Amino acid sequence: MSYNDTDIAALITPTMIHRRVYTDPLVFDLEMQRIWGKAWIFIGHESQVPKPGDYTTQTIGRTPVVMVRDKQNDVHVLYNRCGHKGAKLVDKSCGTVGGGFRCCYHGWTYRLDGKLLGVPHMAGYEGTGFDKEDPQYSMQRLERYDTHRGFVFASMDADAPDLRTWLGGAGDVLDNLCDRSPEGEVEVAGGILRYEHDCNWKMFLENLNDTMHPMIVHRSVVDAANSYMATLPANSPRRDEAEIIPPFGASYENFEATGITGFRYGHHYDGGKSSIHADYTVDPDYEAVMLKAYGKDRTQEILTFNTHNTLYYPSLTIKSAVQNIRIVRPLAVDKCVVESWSFRLKGAPDSMLQRTILYSRLINSNGSMVGPDDLTAYFRMQQGLQSQANDWVEMHRNYGSDEDHGDRLTNVGTSDLDMRSQYAAWRHYMLGEAA
Amino acid sequence: MSTDTKKPDIRDIETFLYDEASLLDRPDLDKWIEMYTDDGTYWMPAIEDQEDPLNHISIYYDDRVLMEIRRRNFVHPRAASKDYKVRCSHIISNVRIESITDDELLVTSNFQCVMYYNNKQTLYAGKYTHKLVAVNGGFKIRHKRVDLINCDGVLGTIIIYI
Repeated sequence: MSYNDTDIAALITPTMIHRRVYTDPLVFDLEMQRIWGKAWIFIGHESQVPKPGDYTTQTIGRTPVVMVRDKQNDVHVLYNRCGHKGAKLVDKSCGTVGGGFRCCYHGWTYRLDGKLLGVPHMAGYEGTGFDKEDPQYSMQRLERYDTHRGFVFASMDADAPDLRTWLGGAGDVLDNLCDRSPEGEVEVAGGILRYEHDCNWKMFLENLNDTMHPMIVHRSVVDAANSYMATLPANSPRRDEAEIIPPFGASYENFEATGITGFRYGHHYDGGKSSIHADYTVDPDYEAVMLKAYGKDRTQEILTFNTHNTLYYPSLTIKSAVQNIRIVRPLAVDKCVVESWSFRLKGAPDSMLQRTILYSRLINSNGSMVGPDDLTAYFRMQQGLQSQANDWVEMHRNYGSDEDHGDRLTNVGTSDLDMRSQYAAWRHYMLGEAA
Repeated sequence: MSTDTKKPDIRDIETFLYDEASLLDRPDLDKWIEMYTDDGTYWMPAIEDQEDPLNHISIYYDDRVLMEIRRRNFVHPRAASKDYKVRCSHIISNVRIESITDDELLVTSNFQCVMYYNNKQTLYAGKYTHKLVAVNGGFKIRHKRVDLINCDGVLGTIIIYI
């Protein structure tokens, strides 16, 4: 079958999602065009391309793009496609091309801003109508790209709202991540993990602020950690693991109290005043550099803005309190890759990056005791939703009681406000409904 | 290098590595952990030639505390990812003694591990580096490093130590 807009609209009600949203390759194709082809997508961070010619590659949906710094120090996001036969100009995750791009196939060369420079053996083109100066033969720039505090986003929609408008109040969390540096700046550090998930890309996003799952899914690691820690002598040295793992077993009441805040365009976070990261020990050396940089009141304000997961729909999820992010890259209706990145707080002691790395290893890694249990729930949903016995997935929790504050909605932390927020954005992108 | 350290028999080392691998084949983490010293560590880097497990992400970097937590997690009845049988077959070859110091042997080897998990069979391959110490006429592992040849690629769940 094919989907017209009426068919698409029928897939989502205020409290229900049709299973085909997760299982039908045709819906996936439409999502790649209409969501990933329109929304602002996280591309990378300026710190990854410190010198002219440095680049990183990404995909937006199925479209390969390259982020590159030019000789004027401007960062561009270009379609990673030669203007000649279409070969990708670069094919590593990151690297440097020096003064410009050169295609591996017929040697066409491009400036760092994408403009076509050279075509070998031009004689054959004389009188053919081919014009090297015609912009269509250059590497094309993404329709829109912009940065916020060094985070580079791009959109393939020329009519997209500007980035700051699109981030809205959810941008506070991105700011908080950067403000946690005494210099107000972060940089990508400590490498990237890539974890293949046999599930629809939205299942990963829908789990971020699903606070009804941790006490079920993560009980095993919490039990294991608590039962071992209980065998240690009382005067044993403090372990970061003992602060990071047990909060995953927090009670329904705890998670309910943290709250969820939803914004336009599908962004949301849980926590704010408190989160499962709120009780981490603060390294005194870190506290000292923060107090020096910001003073007591501002430091307090920065360090007590405690969100758990924040989603910038559809590509980027961040944990500002632990300085790591995850990015979802859809590959097929039932396959995606989740990348885990870490950030260094410039001017902070090494212990801060080390805690970020430890957190990613304990929670996000392919070998961790947390991520694989989440993934097990996702692939079981992916398989279970093949069932024709029941076409619907429900999201009723606390429906009808979201509080409207103008630019944001709030509800208790255990509500499905996060789901409603994502599916309002889904309908916005898929059907052109107001964001 | 100490002059009084007798060069160990390579076959004793190979046997020890096979014994360790056979515990992971089953896997039997309770016995496997006992092959490590109290300050023992297990490291699976995320990039080639990774030098630092603390300031760079790894797939695994466990000390004894995390091994103990993992051992308990692995058999927890509510761990959904552990609902599926795990069976492995490790093959170890090219065993070399790289260096011998007063109290430590540095041994490298190549491995292939076929892991059956959740109806899928996955082939892992790479290089082991073992730091072994002599204890009571045998060995214990002070450090094991597992360099997968695809450590920086897209990987699925690695449910158990390799």
